[in-house]
Amino acid sequence: MLETNYLGLKLANPVMIAAGPWNRDGKGIKESLEAGAGAAVTESIVSDTLLDVRPRISCDDKGAQNIRLYSDIQIEGWEREMEIAKSGGGVVIASVSGHTSSEVAYLASKLERFGADAIELSVSNPAVESLEVVASHADVVYEMTKEIVSAVKIPVIAKLSQNTTNISKVAKAVKDAGGSGVTAINTVRGILGVDIENAVPMLSTYGGISGEYIRPLGLASVATIAQTVNIPICGVGGINSYRHVLEYIMLGASAVQVGTAVMLEGREAIRKIVQELEIWAQNHNINSLLELKGKALENLKSFEEMRFEPAVSYSSGVPCGENCDKCISACMYQAISRKGGQISVDRTRCTGCGLCTFICPANKLKLDL
Amino acid sequence: MNIKEIAKKAGVSVATVSRVLNHPESVAVKTREKIQKIIDEEEYTPNWFAQGLNFNKTKTIGLVLPHTQNSTYMEIANGVEEVARQKGYITFMCNMEGDPELEKEYIDQLVNRKVDGIILLYSLGLDDEYTDWIDELNMPVVTIGESKIKADWDSVKVDCRAAMAEMTAHLMECGHKKIGVLRGTEPDAETKNMVQGFRNVLKASGNKVDEKLIYDVEFSIEGGYIGMKKMIGSLPKLPDAVITTGDEIAYGAMDAIKETGFNIPDDVAVTGFGNDRMSSLMEPKLTTVELPYRKMGIYGARILFDHIDEKQEKKNEKHVARKIKLQAKSRIRKSCGHEGRIGEMF
Repeated sequence: MLETNYLGLKLANPVMIAAGPWNRDGKGIKESLEAGAGAAVTESIVSDTLLDVRPRISCDDKGAQNIRLYSDIQIEGWEREMEIAKSGGGVVIASVSGHTSSEVAYLASKLERFGADAIELSVSNPAVESLEVVASHADVVYEMTKEIVSAVKIPVIAKLSQNTTNISKVAKAVKDAGGSGVTAINTVRGILGVDIENAVPMLSTYGGISGEYIRPLGLASVATIAQTVNIPICGVGGINSYRHVLEYIMLGASAVQVGTAVMLEGREAIRKIVQELEIWAQNHNINSLLELKGKALENLKSFEEMRFEPAVSYSSGVPCGENCDKCISACMYQAISRKGGQISVDRTRCTGCGLCTFICPANKLKLDL
Repeated sequence: MNIKEIAKKAGVSVATVSRVLNHPESVAVKTREKIQKIIDEEEYTPNWFAQGLNFNKTKTIGLVLPHTQNSTYMEIANGVEEVARQKGYITFMCNMEGDPELEKEYIDQLVNRKVDGIILLYSLGLDDEYTDWIDELNMPVVTIGESKIKADWDSVKVDCRAAMAEMTAHLMECGHKKIGVLRGTEPDAETKNMVQGFRNVLKASGNKVDEKLIYDVEFSIEGGYIGMKKMIGSLPKLPDAVITTGDEIAYGAMDAIKETGFNIPDDVAVTGFGNDRMSSLMEPKLTTVELPYRKMGIYGARILFDHIDEKQEKKNEKHVARKIKLQAKSRIRKSCGHEGRIGEMF
């Protein structure tokens, strides 16, 4: 039921494990595939391995910050690792990163020979590149993608970044260069927090933020690309439940990747997401998740197309035993009041902003025409 | 223990053991691990000479380099050797001492010693007749750095013109108008490109290049020191900034400037080229261009071995030359006199 075809690759399900240290070698990738991932993306493979900084990963309950996570295995060693990675079957996508087109094309052609099923070009590591990541330059992304496409026969994907003003322009450059798909999004440059007693940031330099923090950014990026460029999209960013997988798919993704959840909860996270996805699809009589692809885009309008009808809350005398009064303190227009066990909205004051409908833990307030 | 005994002990054919030694990727993981374990236990080492006869390979490559005084060449050589070692090769290092005749003599020697391939680092230039001869021998050759060689060989290059243009533009952004140049004697083609990059930026911004501000110096700390002393002595007023075509030249220049009592960067800014280890230890820290030396060596060796392997696998197919282009990157520190930290941080 979850089987899908992404860029001509047969996947058991559309949930892949993203590039990262959990896929740092053949053994790790094999374990990722055994955990039930539809495909696994290698940790980014670079021209020359560099010494890792320590410490380089921090986290809190909503996500993580990392500084430069590249493979510490040289390209020569990946011949052996690829063999191990693929020894149990499954789809392996090789992530490559570099500064020039000829570098990444070289790495890609080697990895194709070693058995990679597709190439994912990583052009947006926000931790070590300059303020302007490569992914913010559509022309450079075009050149790199084009050179890889001419060097290999397998599908070429570019992993895009939110650190750009126009992600559609970059996605279009990938398509124009002959790329088969885009992955969106990579981590976003950030600082997770500061230890205020000692005035020390959680890590000693800027890093890439991942996890729940970036899911809204990822969802918007996927939707934007889906609405503007005709290219298959793999959604990434903050997925830790089957619901998020469905959100990405409904906004136009054909497949998704999970990274931070695997880092923080282990590969069991993948097994759980896939299982729950299957149950949800069964309960909703879905034969193929592709039926849902882009379904929510029909309800995602541009600002100009939005309705300006005077919808307000008509709630009056709603019995409410929650006693949280969140709606009352949140109403910026002083339209909501409580009388005993009842909540009422003053229609003349309500401007239809909608905040109370989301803040109410019991979903008691509605907007109506 | 010899290869026959290893094969007997592992219960496989001699050919399989041989493949584990020479093309391990062609043997199933389990079999390979089993045989490798026996090889390790018995401390068996293959007879390289016999292997060379068998595969027509000597498992040696040649690396011809300008000289060994400059630490940057050593960094490139380190990259070459790392890849070679992993491949089970040893590298003959030949130091041509800046002499084009010696370069050829070394290549002749390497050919006579039947190396499997040759890497030329900043070649001083080989004429067409000579390169035709090497092509007839079907000897894989990779050039690292710019050279005058016309033959269509595999190459690894860095765009030094763009890098120096970026550095010149940075100095102008810092407010420096009169910019002097200490131009090193080597590597020849790269240095020409760097100076061209400098000229292009000046011209594009509507400034004239003052030839009197360009000094030719030896590529060394002493060369930089003497060149800077000359500049200080002969010019009525110091330029706002001095760019050099190598970090070592910059170190010498900084020494001369400080000795004369001037301040870097307040009286004159200085920039280097290369980003060797010392550059960030200088006072003030040297603004320079980072060249990916090790990566140049690594890629040089990688494409050489690709060519060697290809020669073995596809005997009659014509080789298509691989061209790898690498990137240099500005390292903005203190010696250029810029304000604000943005250039240093990112």
